[in-house]
Amino acid sequence: MDERQKLLEQIMAYDFCMIDLGLFLDTHPSDANALHDFRTCWQESEKLRKLYEEKYGPLSLRHLPNPNCWQWIDTPWPWEKEA
Amino acid sequence: MWYYDKKLEYPVMIRKQDPRMAKYIITQYGGPDGELAASLRYLSQRFHMPTKETQAILNDIGTEELAHLEMIGTMVHQLTKGVPVDVLEKAGLGSYYSDHDRAVYPVNASGVPFTAAYLQSKGDVIADLHEDMAAEQKARATYEFLLNLTDDPDVKDPLRFLREREVLHFQRFGEALRIVQEVMGTKKYY
Repeated sequence: MDERQKLLEQIMAYDFCMIDLGLFLDTHPSDANALHDFRTCWQESEKLRKLYEEKYGPLSLRHLPNPNCWQWIDTPWPWEKEA
Repeated sequence: MWYYDKKLEYPVMIRKQDPRMAKYIITQYGGPDGELAASLRYLSQRFHMPTKETQAILNDIGTEELAHLEMIGTMVHQLTKGVPVDVLEKAGLGSYYSDHDRAVYPVNASGVPFTAAYLQSKGDVIADLHEDMAAEQKARATYEFLLNLTDDPDVKDPLRFLREREVLHFQRFGEALRIVQEVMGTKKYY
């Protein structure tokens, strides 16, 4: 696994924790521990996402595009084995 | 609305082609207990949910199911990409090939196309949440059957992840049902 994939999998791990904690909070909205963990994952994910997008290009269209070229179509799609 | 993230919910990296497994796994794409049916079921039912917790849980699980649909499509794609026609045919995919080549198309394991009759949106919150809990158990069972059909760790790993999500969703729907029953059971004073 190369550096890019390693970083992407770290982001995927934090984002998955957010999905899971989010579902838990939907039915336990006043659980302070879960809310705290959700915020921690959000902050870690955000940090790594910025790092990834600066280095390897956009993960989503929420990322401000480079003024000179449309990189979105050049970065790999997640279903590609080569990705 | 939704934004797309250029990543899967959980990694899928299948090194060995296996059209036989693709033929079985595709049922979780377009079959009766598959991810497309799950997503459509919850995203349709969310509109008539009576509490903020149940609206949120159906919206968010329905969204996660779309990510599962993408994982299953990715698995089918990686298992069949570049497989020669005679190998596809020996694996039982000759009929599929004649209609779809190696494209990903929503069918069940026997090749029957997806139908909205696989899901219900009844408008009755008790009926709908029970259907959702049953749907998660049926999908959990399907993932266990699929796990019995392969030894490839690259295939088993994402299937195990998806199986665990069904168990977790069942738990959350159970809590949603309890919340609704508590609200409906409280005495109303006018």
